[in-house]
Amino acid sequence: MAEISFPLPDLGEGLIEATVLEWLVSEGQQVERNQPLVEVETSKSAVELPSPQAGKVVRTFGRPGDRINVGEPLIVFEVPDDTAGIVGTVPKDEAPKRRVRLSAVLDED
Amino acid sequence: MSGRHTGGQHSHTVEGTDPQLYVQVHDPASDAGLRPVLLLHGFSSSSKLNWEDTGWVAALLEAGRRVITVDLPGHGRSGAPEDRDSYAPSRIRADLLQIAFDAGVRPLQDGDPSSGLDVVGYSMGSRLAWEFGATQPEIVHRLVLGGPNIADPLAAFDLVAAQDYLADGTPIADESTAGLLKMAQLLPSNNIFALLSLIEAIKAEPYDPAEAVPHMPMLLVAGEKDDRAATMPQLAELGIKAGSMAEQLVLPGRNHTNAITSRAFKQGAINFLAV
Repeated sequence: MAEISFPLPDLGEGLIEATVLEWLVSEGQQVERNQPLVEVETSKSAVELPSPQAGKVVRTFGRPGDRINVGEPLIVFEVPDDTAGIVGTVPKDEAPKRRVRLSAVLDED
Repeated sequence: MSGRHTGGQHSHTVEGTDPQLYVQVHDPASDAGLRPVLLLHGFSSSSKLNWEDTGWVAALLEAGRRVITVDLPGHGRSGAPEDRDSYAPSRIRADLLQIAFDAGVRPLQDGDPSSGLDVVGYSMGSRLAWEFGATQPEIVHRLVLGGPNIADPLAAFDLVAAQDYLADGTPIADESTAGLLKMAQLLPSNNIFALLSLIEAIKAEPYDPAEAVPHMPMLLVAGEKDDRAATMPQLAELGIKAGSMAEQLVLPGRNHTNAITSRAFKQGAINFLAV
């Protein structure tokens, strides 16, 4: 199993922080992608954040009333090892298939 | 989120001029066979802010409901007509009725749960929903009124002070006016002059909930700390006196801004409308 951490996403409009209103999932719970995770309030509005990931919730950050900055950890999921790459893939260690020609070939075209 | 989305500016004219309203119809992946739900957002908000970002559209689709959203004039992706008449609550109600019919809403029929329309409003949207329910009993099945108020706070808005402030920064003495204008200016997408036209039109047609009371069942919902909805019990009383079944739901710890995302609110509405 692997753990994936998600930060509080950029909420647009230049907002840099949000206050947790209510968690809709709890630690240990299995959630689906797009399932509502948490309600947060910004200086402009209240929003419900859907889950970017399916998996088991390992940890949530912030209790109701706590402020979280954009980019700070919000939630950690546990996912099977072979699906961890959905978020960021590590390039395989093999020879590149394409080459970039660094010098111009003057006699073509 | 699932379902097909059709969006676009509504172009069926009711009173000769195009209201330029942005309408979206969201179809659920699995239809519960119940009538559509029309969502009416609040002042200085939009369907996206009030209903999509808050999880309402997704929750209703998940419950198998077909959802109709409309951005009010001067809000969201709707146009901002220059004439004041486009912002009159009576004109908006006429346009909403046309939008409902264009979306396939049929008059209520006994024994047909897919006939008619349910309406959910928030704040100013609740005022429109109240009036819409009172004037369209043939199609409105049930109402959910969030953050409702017996008087429209926009009617007391000091337009002259707001215009002075926008022109040269003269401070606004009235706290409610200053607060509403600040809220309207927070979102760069708002057309501030269109919103002032709306306020002007609302002043010309003040909200009088006692004048026309909806008779269909209604659920009134407000945050415990929502000062703008402190008069909710009076609205419920009006409804009950008129023979409506008026239920009230108070959301602990919530205020006028953050009541909208509340799961208890959404679930309460979904249950109330699932008949």
